[in-house]
Amino acid sequence: MRKKDCSNLAQMTHTSHAPEELQALFDAAVDAIIIIDHRGTIRSLNRSAERLFGYGAAEAMGQNISLFMPADQATLHDEHLQRYLTTRVPHVIGTGRDVLAQRKDGSTFPVRLSVGLVADSEPPRFVGFLHDLTRRREIEEDSRRAEGRLAQVARYAALGEMAAGIAHELNQPLSAIATYAQACDRMLGAPAPDMPEISDALKQVTAQALRAGEIIRKLRHLVGNRETERSDSDLNSVVEELITLAGTDLRQHNATLDFALSPALAAVSIDRVQVQQVLLNLLRNAMEALDGASADREIVIGTRAVADDEVEVYVRDRGHGVAADVASRMFDPFFTTKLSGTGLGLAISKTIARAHRGTLGHRSHASSGSEFFLRLPTLEKNPPQ
Amino acid sequence: MKAPVETVIVVDDDDAVRASLRLLLKSVGLEVQTYASASEFLSSYNAQQPGCLVLDVRMPGLSGMELQEQLNLQGAIIPVIFVTGHGDVPMAVEAMQHGAFDFLQKPFRDQELLDRIQRALVRDRENRVQLLQKDQIRTRLGSLTPREREVLQLMTRGRPNKLMAADLGLSQRTIEIHRARVMEKMHASSLAQLVRMTLEIC
Repeated sequence: MRKKDCSNLAQMTHTSHAPEELQALFDAAVDAIIIIDHRGTIRSLNRSAERLFGYGAAEAMGQNISLFMPADQATLHDEHLQRYLTTRVPHVIGTGRDVLAQRKDGSTFPVRLSVGLVADSEPPRFVGFLHDLTRRREIEEDSRRAEGRLAQVARYAALGEMAAGIAHELNQPLSAIATYAQACDRMLGAPAPDMPEISDALKQVTAQALRAGEIIRKLRHLVGNRETERSDSDLNSVVEELITLAGTDLRQHNATLDFALSPALAAVSIDRVQVQQVLLNLLRNAMEALDGASADREIVIGTRAVADDEVEVYVRDRGHGVAADVASRMFDPFFTTKLSGTGLGLAISKTIARAHRGTLGHRSHASSGSEFFLRLPTLEKNPPQ
Repeated sequence: MKAPVETVIVVDDDDAVRASLRLLLKSVGLEVQTYASASEFLSSYNAQQPGCLVLDVRMPGLSGMELQEQLNLQGAIIPVIFVTGHGDVPMAVEAMQHGAFDFLQKPFRDQELLDRIQRALVRDRENRVQLLQKDQIRTRLGSLTPREREVLQLMTRGRPNKLMAADLGLSQRTIEIHRARVMEKMHASSLAQLVRMTLEIC
Protein backbone atom coordinates (compact mmCIF):
# COMPACT_ATOMS: atom_id res chain seq x y z
CA MET A 1 0.00 0.00 0.00
CA ARG A 2 2.66 2.39 1.16
CA LYS A 3 4.98 1.40 -1.65
CA LYS A 4 2.22 2.06 -4.16
CA ASP A 5 1.70 5.53 -2.71
CA CYS A 6 5.28 6.52 -3.30
CA SER A 7 5.60 5.13 -6.80
CA ASN A 8 2.37 6.79 -7.87
CA LEU A 9 3.00 10.10 -6.20
CA ALA A 10 3.77 11.96 -9.40
CA GLN A 11 0.79 10.49 -11.09
CA MET A 12 -1.50 11.15 -8.14
CA THR A 13 -0.89 14.87 -8.20
CA HIS A 14 -2.14 15.05 -11.76
CA THR A 15 -5.24 12.93 -11.33
CA SER A 16 -8.37 13.13 -9.29
CA HIS A 17 -7.94 9.54 -8.19
CA ALA A 18 -7.41 8.41 -4.65
CA PRO A 19 -8.67 11.55 -2.93
CA GLU A 20 -8.21 9.93 0.48
CA GLU A 21 -4.51 9.42 -0.29
CA LEU A 22 -4.19 13.04 -1.29
CA GLN A 23 -5.96 14.02 1.89
CA ALA A 24 -3.50 11.91 3.92
CA LEU A 25 -0.60 13.61 2.20
CA PHE A 26 -2.18 16.97 2.82
CA ASP A 27 -2.72 16.31 6.51
CA ALA A 28 0.56 14.58 7.24
CA ALA A 29 2.63 17.48 5.91
CA VAL A 30 4.66 19.23 8.59
CA ASP A 31 4.40 22.51 6.70
CA ALA A 32 1.16 24.43 6.53
CA ILE A 33 -0.65 24.07 3.19
CA ILE A 34 -3.38 26.53 2.22
CA ILE A 35 -5.33 26.68 -1.01
CA ILE A 36 -6.94 29.96 -2.03
CA ASP A 37 -8.93 31.12 -5.02
CA HIS A 38 -8.34 34.13 -7.26
CA ARG A 39 -9.99 36.45 -4.73
CA GLY A 40 -7.79 35.24 -1.93
CA THR A 41 -10.55 33.27 -0.27
CA ILE A 42 -9.33 30.25 1.67
CA ARG A 43 -10.66 27.09 0.05
CA SER A 44 -8.89 24.53 2.17
CA LEU A 45 -6.10 24.22 4.70
CA ASN A 46 -4.34 21.30 6.32
CA ARG A 47 -3.91 20.34 9.98
CA SER A 48 -0.49 21.97 10.20
CA ALA A 49 -2.02 25.23 9.04
CA GLU A 50 -4.70 25.00 11.71
CA ARG A 51 -2.06 24.29 14.35
CA LEU A 52 0.31 26.98 13.14
CA PHE A 53 -2.22 29.79 12.87
CA GLY A 54 -4.59 28.72 15.66
CA TYR A 55 -7.76 28.71 13.53
CA GLY A 56 -10.01 25.70 13.07
CA ALA A 57 -10.63 24.67 9.44
CA ALA A 58 -14.32 25.54 9.64
CA GLU A 59 -13.49 28.95 11.02
CA ALA A 60 -10.87 29.78 8.39
CA MET A 61 -12.58 28.41 5.32
CA GLY A 62 -14.24 31.12 3.22
CA GLN A 63 -12.23 33.87 4.95
CA ASN A 64 -9.72 35.96 3.08
CA ILE A 65 -6.10 34.87 3.31
CA SER A 66 -5.23 38.34 4.65
CA LEU A 67 -6.43 36.93 7.97
CA PHE A 68 -3.13 35.05 8.16
CA MET A 69 -0.81 38.01 7.72
CA PRO A 70 -0.07 41.41 9.20
CA ALA A 71 -1.89 44.31 7.51
CA ASP A 72 1.03 45.66 5.47
CA GLN A 73 1.74 42.23 4.00
CA ALA A 74 -1.94 41.74 3.25
CA THR A 75 -1.93 44.80 1.01
CA LEU A 76 1.17 43.55 -0.75
CA HIS A 77 -0.36 40.11 -1.18
CA ASP A 78 -3.45 41.63 -2.74
CA GLU A 79 -1.31 43.55 -5.22
CA HIS A 80 0.60 40.42 -6.20
CA LEU A 81 -2.63 38.55 -6.73
CA GLN A 82 -4.18 41.33 -8.83
CA ARG A 83 -1.05 41.70 -10.90
CA TYR A 84 -0.98 38.01 -11.66
CA LEU A 85 -4.62 37.96 -12.63
CA THR A 86 -4.18 40.81 -15.12
CA THR A 87 -0.72 40.00 -16.50
CA ARG A 88 -0.56 36.25 -15.84
CA VAL A 89 3.17 36.73 -15.29
CA PRO A 90 4.20 34.82 -12.18
CA HIS A 91 6.36 36.71 -9.69
CA VAL A 92 6.00 34.67 -6.59
CA ILE A 93 4.84 31.38 -8.07
CA GLY A 94 7.60 28.79 -8.22
CA THR A 95 9.98 30.73 -6.03
CA GLY A 96 10.13 30.83 -2.27
CA ARG A 97 10.44 33.89 -0.13
CA ASP A 98 10.52 34.74 3.56
CA VAL A 99 7.46 36.60 4.85
CA LEU A 100 5.83 37.42 8.14
CA ALA A 101 2.69 35.49 9.12
CA GLN A 102 0.15 36.27 11.83
CA ARG A 103 -1.53 33.90 14.26
CA LYS A 104 -5.11 34.18 15.49
CA ASP A 105 -3.85 35.79 18.69
CA GLY A 106 -2.26 38.53 16.60
CA SER A 107 1.36 37.44 17.19
CA THR A 108 3.59 37.25 14.13
CA PHE A 109 6.26 34.76 13.11
CA PRO A 110 8.59 34.29 10.14
CA VAL A 111 7.72 31.74 7.46
CA ARG A 112 9.18 30.55 4.21
CA LEU A 113 6.38 30.80 1.65
CA SER A 114 6.26 28.96 -1.66
CA VAL A 115 3.32 29.29 -3.98
CA GLY A 116 2.10 26.98 -6.70
CA LEU A 117 -0.71 27.23 -9.21
CA VAL A 118 -3.41 24.58 -9.19
CA ALA A 119 -3.12 23.11 -12.66
CA ASP A 120 -5.87 23.92 -15.19
CA SER A 121 -7.90 25.90 -12.67
CA GLU A 122 -9.80 28.87 -14.07
CA PRO A 123 -10.24 31.26 -12.42
CA PRO A 124 -6.90 30.18 -10.98
CA ARG A 125 -6.46 28.71 -7.57
CA PHE A 126 -3.23 28.77 -5.67
CA VAL A 127 -1.56 26.49 -3.19
CA GLY A 128 0.72 27.97 -0.58
CA PHE A 129 3.28 26.06 1.48
CA LEU A 130 4.33 27.77 4.67
CA HIS A 131 7.40 26.58 6.56
CA ASP A 132 7.73 27.93 10.10
CA LEU A 133 11.11 29.68 10.48
CA THR A 134 10.76 30.56 14.17
CA ARG A 135 13.14 27.86 15.41
CA ARG A 136 15.69 28.53 12.69
CA ARG A 137 15.62 32.24 13.44
CA GLU A 138 16.17 31.49 17.12
CA ILE A 139 19.17 29.35 16.30
CA GLU A 140 20.54 32.03 14.02
CA GLU A 141 20.00 34.62 16.72
CA ASP A 142 21.74 32.39 19.28
CA SER A 143 24.72 31.87 17.05
CA ARG A 144 24.92 35.60 16.35
CA ARG A 145 24.87 36.26 20.08
CA ALA A 146 27.57 33.63 20.62
CA GLU A 147 29.68 35.25 17.93
CA GLY A 148 29.15 38.57 19.63
CA ARG A 149 30.36 37.14 22.92
CA LEU A 150 33.37 35.56 21.27
CA ALA A 151 34.19 38.88 19.66
CA GLN A 152 33.91 40.48 23.08
CA VAL A 153 36.36 37.95 24.48
CA ALA A 154 38.58 38.58 21.51
CA ARG A 155 38.44 42.26 22.19
CA TYR A 156 39.57 41.80 25.78
CA ALA A 157 42.32 39.36 24.81
CA ALA A 158 43.61 41.72 22.16
CA LEU A 159 43.31 44.59 24.62
CA GLY A 160 45.55 42.74 27.03
CA GLU A 161 48.17 42.30 24.35
CA MET A 162 47.81 45.90 23.34
CA ALA A 163 48.10 47.05 26.94
CA ALA A 164 51.62 45.66 27.22
CA GLY A 165 52.65 47.52 24.10
CA ILE A 166 50.98 50.73 25.21
CA ALA A 167 52.49 50.50 28.69
CA HIS A 168 55.94 50.25 27.20
CA GLU A 169 55.31 53.00 24.69
CA LEU A 170 54.09 55.39 27.39
CA ASN A 171 56.62 54.43 30.01
CA GLN A 172 59.54 55.43 27.81
CA PRO A 173 58.75 59.16 27.77
CA LEU A 174 57.52 59.07 31.38
CA SER A 175 60.69 57.36 32.45
CA ALA A 176 62.80 59.91 30.56
CA ILE A 177 60.85 62.78 32.15
CA ALA A 178 61.32 61.43 35.67
CA THR A 179 65.00 60.80 35.09
CA TYR A 180 65.66 64.20 33.52
CA ALA A 181 63.83 65.97 36.35
CA GLN A 182 65.73 64.09 39.02
CA ALA A 183 69.03 64.72 37.26
CA CYS A 184 68.20 68.46 37.14
CA ASP A 185 67.44 68.41 40.85
CA ARG A 186 70.79 66.83 41.58
CA MET A 187 72.66 69.19 39.27
CA LEU A 188 71.04 72.20 40.95
CA GLY A 189 72.32 70.91 44.28
CA ALA A 190 75.92 70.95 43.04
CA PRO A 191 78.21 73.83 44.08
CA ALA A 192 78.43 75.31 40.57
CA PRO A 193 75.41 74.10 38.57
CA ASP A 194 75.85 73.84 34.80
CA MET A 195 72.89 76.03 33.88
CA PRO A 196 72.92 75.46 30.08
CA GLU A 197 72.93 71.69 30.64
CA ILE A 198 70.06 71.97 33.11
CA SER A 199 68.14 74.14 30.66
CA ASP A 200 68.65 71.55 27.91
CA ALA A 201 67.39 68.82 30.20
CA LEU A 202 64.27 70.83 31.03
CA LYS A 203 63.56 71.28 27.32
CA GLN A 204 63.82 67.52 27.01
CA VAL A 205 61.27 67.14 29.81
CA THR A 206 58.84 69.25 27.82
CA ALA A 207 59.49 67.33 24.63
CA GLN A 208 58.96 63.99 26.32
CA ALA A 209 55.76 65.15 28.02
CA LEU A 210 54.44 66.17 24.61
CA ARG A 211 55.49 62.83 23.19
CA ALA A 212 53.49 61.03 25.91
CA GLY A 213 50.51 63.27 25.25
CA GLU A 214 50.69 62.48 21.55
CA ILE A 215 50.61 58.76 22.23
CA ILE A 216 47.58 59.17 24.47
CA ARG A 217 45.83 61.38 21.94
CA LYS A 218 46.22 58.74 19.25
CA LEU A 219 45.15 55.96 21.56
CA ARG A 220 42.12 57.80 22.81
CA HIS A 221 40.73 57.72 19.33
CA LEU A 222 41.01 53.96 19.30
CA VAL A 223 39.81 53.28 22.79
CA GLY A 224 37.34 56.16 22.92
CA ASN A 225 34.66 54.68 20.69
CA ARG A 226 34.77 51.37 22.50
CA GLU A 227 31.12 51.79 23.44
CA THR A 228 29.82 52.54 19.99
CA GLU A 229 29.47 49.58 17.73
CA ARG A 230 29.20 50.08 13.98
CA SER A 231 30.08 53.37 12.40
CA ASP A 232 30.41 54.45 8.80
CA SER A 233 34.12 54.44 8.20
CA ASP A 234 36.76 55.00 5.62
CA LEU A 235 38.81 51.83 5.61
CA ASN A 236 41.96 53.74 4.73
CA SER A 237 41.81 55.82 7.89
CA VAL A 238 41.23 52.67 9.92
CA VAL A 239 44.38 51.19 8.41
CA GLU A 240 46.43 54.34 8.88
CA GLU A 241 45.71 54.43 12.60
CA LEU A 242 47.37 51.05 12.99
CA ILE A 243 50.83 52.56 12.91
CA THR A 244 50.28 53.85 16.45
CA LEU A 245 49.37 50.42 17.75
CA ALA A 246 51.94 48.47 15.80
CA GLY A 247 54.84 50.90 16.16
CA THR A 248 56.53 49.19 19.10
CA ASP A 249 56.11 45.74 17.64
CA LEU A 250 57.45 46.84 14.29
CA ARG A 251 60.57 48.23 15.90
CA GLN A 252 60.95 45.15 18.00
CA HIS A 253 60.84 42.95 14.92
CA ASN A 254 62.97 45.38 13.00
CA ALA A 255 60.29 45.52 10.30
CA THR A 256 58.88 48.37 8.25
CA LEU A 257 55.27 48.92 7.29
CA ASP A 258 54.40 50.12 3.81
CA PHE A 259 50.96 51.46 2.97
CA ALA A 260 49.37 50.79 -0.42
CA LEU A 261 46.03 52.47 0.04
CA SER A 262 43.60 52.70 -2.82
CA PRO A 263 42.10 56.20 -3.02
CA ALA A 264 38.34 56.80 -3.14
CA LEU A 265 37.44 53.53 -1.51
CA ALA A 266 33.74 52.95 -0.77
CA ALA A 267 32.80 53.43 2.88
CA VAL A 268 32.12 50.48 5.16
CA SER A 269 29.97 50.08 8.26
CA ILE A 270 32.29 48.58 10.84
CA ASP A 271 33.33 48.45 14.45
CA ARG A 272 36.67 50.19 14.03
CA VAL A 273 38.26 48.67 17.11
CA GLN A 274 37.33 45.15 16.10
CA VAL A 275 38.56 45.58 12.56
CA GLN A 276 41.78 47.09 13.83
CA GLN A 277 42.21 44.12 16.11
CA VAL A 278 41.92 41.81 13.13
CA LEU A 279 44.46 43.84 11.19
CA LEU A 280 46.80 44.13 14.16
CA ASN A 281 46.65 40.39 14.54
CA LEU A 282 47.52 39.92 10.86
CA LEU A 283 50.39 42.40 11.23
CA ARG A 284 51.75 40.58 14.26
CA ASN A 285 51.65 37.29 12.37
CA ALA A 286 53.46 38.92 9.48
CA MET A 287 56.13 40.29 11.79
CA GLU A 288 56.62 36.91 13.38
CA ALA A 289 56.84 35.33 9.93
CA LEU A 290 59.77 37.65 9.23
CA ASP A 291 61.75 36.46 12.24
CA GLY A 292 64.56 34.37 10.94
CA ALA A 293 64.18 35.73 7.42
CA SER A 294 66.95 38.19 6.74
CA ALA A 295 66.32 39.89 3.42
CA ASP A 296 63.07 41.76 2.95
CA ARG A 297 61.73 43.04 6.24
CA GLU A 298 58.98 45.08 4.70
CA ILE A 299 55.32 44.40 5.37
CA VAL A 300 52.78 45.84 2.98
CA ILE A 301 49.30 46.74 4.11
CA GLY A 302 46.96 47.80 1.34
CA THR A 303 43.35 48.44 0.50
CA ARG A 304 41.45 47.92 -2.73
CA ALA A 305 37.99 47.42 -4.13
CA VAL A 306 37.38 43.80 -5.16
CA ALA A 307 33.86 44.29 -6.49
CA ASP A 308 31.22 47.00 -6.66
CA ASP A 309 30.03 46.06 -3.24
CA GLU A 310 33.16 44.73 -1.58
CA VAL A 311 36.43 46.21 -0.38
CA GLU A 312 39.51 44.47 0.91
CA VAL A 313 42.45 45.11 3.24
CA TYR A 314 45.44 42.86 2.74
CA VAL A 315 48.63 42.30 4.73
CA ARG A 316 51.57 40.90 2.80
CA ASP A 317 54.96 39.76 4.01
CA ARG A 318 57.97 38.10 2.46
CA GLY A 319 58.45 35.77 5.38
CA HIS A 320 58.47 31.99 5.51
CA GLY A 321 54.94 31.67 4.16
CA VAL A 322 52.29 29.21 5.25
CA ALA A 323 52.82 25.47 4.86
CA ALA A 324 49.96 23.59 3.19
CA ASP A 325 49.11 21.53 6.26
CA VAL A 326 49.04 24.70 8.35
CA ALA A 327 46.93 26.61 5.82
CA SER A 328 44.09 24.12 6.12
CA ARG A 329 43.91 24.46 9.91
CA MET A 330 45.17 27.92 10.78
CA PHE A 331 41.70 29.41 11.22
CA ASP A 332 40.71 26.70 13.69
CA PRO A 333 40.52 27.80 17.31
CA PHE A 334 43.48 26.69 19.44
CA PHE A 335 45.55 25.73 16.42
CA THR A 336 48.93 27.40 16.65
CA THR A 337 52.45 27.07 15.29
CA LYS A 338 53.88 29.46 17.83
CA LEU A 339 55.57 28.36 21.02
CA SER A 340 53.60 30.75 23.18
CA GLY A 341 50.56 31.25 20.95
CA THR A 342 46.99 30.85 22.13
CA GLY A 343 45.78 29.67 18.75
CA LEU A 344 42.95 32.15 18.99
CA GLY A 345 44.20 35.09 16.92
CA LEU A 346 43.02 33.99 13.50
CA ALA A 347 39.95 32.18 14.83
CA ILE A 348 38.79 35.30 16.61
CA SER A 349 39.64 37.43 13.59
CA LYS A 350 37.52 35.18 11.43
CA THR A 351 34.64 35.57 13.86
CA ILE A 352 34.94 39.32 13.72
CA ALA A 353 35.04 39.18 9.92
CA ARG A 354 31.87 37.08 9.89
CA ALA A 355 30.13 39.42 12.31
CA HIS A 356 30.76 42.13 9.71
CA ARG A 357 29.39 39.90 6.94
CA GLY A 358 32.91 39.83 5.59
CA THR A 359 35.50 37.16 5.00
CA LEU A 360 39.01 36.54 6.21
CA GLY A 361 41.26 34.59 3.93
CA HIS A 362 44.75 33.75 2.84
CA ARG A 363 46.45 33.37 -0.51
CA SER A 364 50.01 32.34 -1.11
CA HIS A 365 51.97 35.08 -2.78
CA ALA A 366 53.77 34.76 -6.09
CA SER A 367 57.29 35.47 -4.82
CA SER A 368 57.18 33.99 -1.32
CA GLY A 369 55.67 34.83 2.00
CA SER A 370 51.98 35.14 2.51
CA GLU A 371 49.09 37.49 2.06
CA PHE A 372 46.08 37.62 4.34
CA PHE A 373 43.02 39.60 3.44
CA LEU A 374 39.90 40.87 5.12
CA ARG A 375 36.99 41.55 2.78
CA LEU A 376 34.13 43.70 3.91
CA PRO A 377 30.84 44.58 2.24
CA THR A 378 30.50 48.24 1.42
CA LEU A 379 28.11 50.46 3.32
CA GLU A 380 25.54 50.21 0.51
CA LYS A 381 25.45 46.45 0.64
CA ASN A 382 25.59 46.16 4.40
CA PRO A 383 23.76 49.16 5.85
CA PRO A 384 23.71 49.46 9.62
CA GLN A 385 20.56 48.10 11.28
CA MET B 1 98.28 48.17 32.39
CA LYS B 2 96.05 50.86 33.80
CA ALA B 3 92.89 49.44 35.45
CA PRO B 4 89.75 50.45 33.49
CA VAL B 5 87.35 52.77 35.36
CA GLU B 6 84.20 51.31 36.86
CA THR B 7 81.44 52.14 34.37
CA VAL B 8 77.66 51.91 34.27
CA ILE B 9 76.60 50.61 30.87
CA VAL B 10 73.08 51.53 29.77
CA VAL B 11 71.43 49.62 26.91
CA ASP B 12 68.04 51.04 25.87
CA ASP B 13 66.58 51.59 22.42
CA ASP B 14 64.87 54.81 23.42
CA ASP B 15 67.00 57.90 22.75
CA ALA B 16 65.35 59.99 25.46
CA VAL B 17 65.63 57.30 28.12
CA ARG B 18 69.27 56.78 27.25
CA ALA B 19 70.13 60.48 27.30
CA SER B 20 68.28 61.12 30.57
CA LEU B 21 70.03 58.19 32.29
CA ARG B 22 73.37 59.40 31.06
CA LEU B 23 72.68 62.82 32.56
CA LEU B 24 71.47 61.41 35.86
CA LEU B 25 74.39 59.03 36.31
CA LYS B 26 76.83 61.73 35.28
CA SER B 27 75.29 64.11 37.83
CA VAL B 28 76.27 61.74 40.63
CA GLY B 29 79.75 61.31 39.21
CA LEU B 30 79.40 57.86 37.66
CA GLU B 31 81.11 56.88 34.41
CA VAL B 32 78.48 56.06 31.79
CA GLN B 33 78.45 54.33 28.44
CA THR B 34 75.20 54.04 26.49
CA TYR B 35 74.17 51.74 23.65
CA ALA B 36 71.01 51.75 21.56
CA SER B 37 70.93 47.99 21.04
CA ALA B 38 72.17 44.77 22.55
CA SER B 39 74.19 43.92 19.47
CA GLU B 40 75.88 47.32 19.49
CA PHE B 41 76.85 46.73 23.09
CA LEU B 42 78.05 43.16 22.52
CA SER B 43 80.30 44.14 19.64
CA SER B 44 82.27 46.50 21.85
CA TYR B 45 81.98 44.64 25.15
CA ASN B 46 85.17 44.04 27.06
CA ALA B 47 84.84 41.48 29.86
CA GLN B 48 87.69 43.18 31.74
CA GLN B 49 85.60 46.34 32.05
CA PRO B 50 84.36 46.59 35.64
CA GLY B 51 80.93 48.06 36.31
CA CYS B 52 77.33 47.03 35.87
CA LEU B 53 74.71 46.84 33.14
CA VAL B 54 71.36 48.62 33.07
CA LEU B 55 69.27 46.80 30.46
CA ASP B 56 65.85 47.45 29.02
CA VAL B 57 64.01 44.14 28.78
CA ARG B 58 62.11 45.03 25.65
CA MET B 59 64.29 46.07 22.75
CA PRO B 60 64.31 45.49 19.03
CA GLY B 61 66.60 42.72 17.88
CA LEU B 62 68.17 40.97 20.86
CA SER B 63 65.99 41.57 23.93
CA GLY B 64 67.45 42.31 27.34
CA MET B 65 66.80 38.74 28.45
CA GLU B 66 68.51 37.33 25.38
CA LEU B 67 71.48 39.61 25.92
CA GLN B 68 71.81 38.31 29.45
CA GLU B 69 71.79 34.76 28.15
CA GLN B 70 74.59 35.64 25.74
CA LEU B 71 76.59 37.12 28.59
CA ASN B 72 75.92 34.05 30.71
CA LEU B 73 77.23 31.87 27.89
CA GLN B 74 80.37 33.96 27.69
CA GLY B 75 80.78 33.51 31.44
CA ALA B 76 80.60 37.26 31.97
CA ILE B 77 80.31 38.24 35.60
CA ILE B 78 79.01 41.78 35.16
CA PRO B 79 75.85 42.32 37.27
CA VAL B 80 72.71 43.14 35.27
CA ILE B 81 69.90 45.42 36.44
CA PHE B 82 66.80 45.06 34.31
CA VAL B 83 64.46 47.95 33.76
CA THR B 84 61.14 47.46 32.07
CA GLY B 85 58.15 49.46 31.05
CA HIS B 86 55.73 46.61 31.59
CA GLY B 87 57.25 44.59 34.37
CA ASP B 88 55.23 41.61 35.34
CA VAL B 89 56.01 39.11 38.04
CA PRO B 90 56.74 36.12 35.78
CA MET B 91 59.20 38.18 33.78
CA ALA B 92 60.95 39.41 36.92
CA VAL B 93 61.15 35.86 38.24
CA GLU B 94 62.58 34.65 34.96
CA ALA B 95 65.18 37.40 34.91
CA MET B 96 66.26 36.67 38.47
CA GLN B 97 66.46 32.97 37.73
CA HIS B 98 68.79 33.75 34.88
CA GLY B 99 71.06 35.54 37.28
CA ALA B 100 69.86 39.12 36.99
CA PHE B 101 71.13 41.22 39.84
CA ASP B 102 67.97 43.29 40.15
CA PHE B 103 64.79 44.34 38.45
CA LEU B 104 63.26 47.80 38.30
CA GLN B 105 60.08 49.10 36.75
CA LYS B 106 59.97 52.27 34.68
CA PRO B 107 59.52 55.04 35.58
CA PHE B 108 61.60 54.80 38.75
CA ARG B 109 62.91 57.06 41.49
CA ASP B 110 66.49 58.02 40.79
CA GLN B 111 67.55 56.96 44.28
CA GLU B 112 66.13 53.48 43.73
CA LEU B 113 68.20 53.09 40.62
CA LEU B 114 71.32 54.66 42.11
CA ASP B 115 71.13 52.43 45.20
CA ARG B 116 70.82 49.37 43.02
CA ILE B 117 73.68 50.53 40.85
CA GLN B 118 75.87 51.06 43.93
CA ARG B 119 75.04 47.58 45.19
CA ALA B 120 75.71 46.11 41.76
CA LEU B 121 79.08 47.86 41.61
CA VAL B 122 80.01 46.48 45.04
CA ARG B 123 79.02 43.02 43.83
CA ASP B 124 81.10 43.46 40.70
CA ARG B 125 84.13 44.47 42.77
CA GLU B 126 83.72 41.44 44.99
CA ASN B 127 83.30 39.21 41.97
CA ARG B 128 86.42 40.59 40.40
CA VAL B 129 88.49 40.23 43.60
CA GLN B 130 87.37 36.62 43.84
CA LEU B 131 88.14 36.06 40.22
CA LEU B 132 91.58 37.56 40.73
CA GLN B 133 92.19 35.34 43.74
CA LYS B 134 91.19 32.27 41.81
CA ASP B 135 93.48 33.28 39.00
CA GLN B 136 96.30 33.70 41.51
CA ILE B 137 95.68 30.29 43.02
CA ARG B 138 95.66 28.74 39.56
CA THR B 139 98.92 30.46 38.68
CA ARG B 140 100.52 29.27 41.91
CA LEU B 141 99.25 25.75 41.31
CA GLY B 142 100.78 25.92 37.88
CA SER B 143 104.18 26.66 39.39
CA LEU B 144 104.26 23.35 41.31
CA THR B 145 106.33 20.43 40.01
CA PRO B 146 104.47 17.14 39.35
CA ARG B 147 105.96 15.70 42.53
CA GLU B 148 104.87 18.76 44.55
CA ARG B 149 101.34 18.37 43.14
CA GLU B 150 101.26 14.78 44.35
CA VAL B 151 102.37 15.92 47.79
CA LEU B 152 99.74 18.70 47.78
CA GLN B 153 96.98 16.22 46.99
CA LEU B 154 98.04 13.91 49.83
CA MET B 155 98.40 16.88 52.18
CA THR B 156 94.90 18.11 51.55
CA ARG B 157 93.64 14.60 52.27
CA GLY B 158 95.37 14.80 55.67
CA ARG B 159 97.90 12.01 54.94
CA PRO B 160 100.65 11.93 57.61
CA ASN B 161 104.26 12.39 56.39
CA LYS B 162 105.28 8.89 57.29
CA LEU B 163 102.57 7.27 55.17
CA MET B 164 103.11 9.79 52.38
CA ALA B 165 106.80 8.77 52.30
CA ALA B 166 105.77 5.14 51.99
CA ASP B 167 103.15 5.97 49.28
CA LEU B 168 105.62 7.83 47.13
CA GLY B 169 108.71 5.73 47.96
CA LEU B 170 110.57 8.75 49.33
CA SER B 171 112.27 9.49 52.59
CA GLN B 172 110.35 11.36 55.26
CA ARG B 173 112.96 14.12 55.07
CA THR B 174 112.32 14.60 51.33
CA ILE B 175 108.58 14.76 51.98
CA GLU B 176 109.17 17.49 54.54
CA ILE B 177 111.14 19.51 52.00
CA HIS B 178 108.35 19.10 49.38
CA ARG B 179 105.73 20.15 51.92
CA ALA B 180 107.64 23.28 52.74
CA ARG B 181 108.02 24.11 49.03
CA VAL B 182 104.26 23.62 48.44
CA MET B 183 103.34 25.92 51.31
CA GLU B 184 105.76 28.53 50.10
CA LYS B 185 104.74 28.43 46.43
CA MET B 186 101.04 28.50 47.30
CA HIS B 187 101.51 31.39 49.74
CA ALA B 188 99.70 29.33 52.37
CA SER B 189 100.36 29.99 56.04
CA SER B 190 98.52 26.92 57.27
CA LEU B 191 97.26 23.61 56.05
CA ALA B 192 93.69 24.88 56.55
CA GLN B 193 94.32 27.81 54.21
CA LEU B 194 95.84 25.50 51.63
CA VAL B 195 92.78 23.27 51.75
CA ARG B 196 90.49 26.27 51.31
CA MET B 197 92.45 27.47 48.27
CA THR B 198 92.16 24.14 46.51
CA LEU B 199 88.44 24.02 47.29
CA GLU B 200 87.89 27.48 45.86
CA ILE B 201 89.09 26.56 42.40
CA CYS B 202 87.29 23.20 42.19
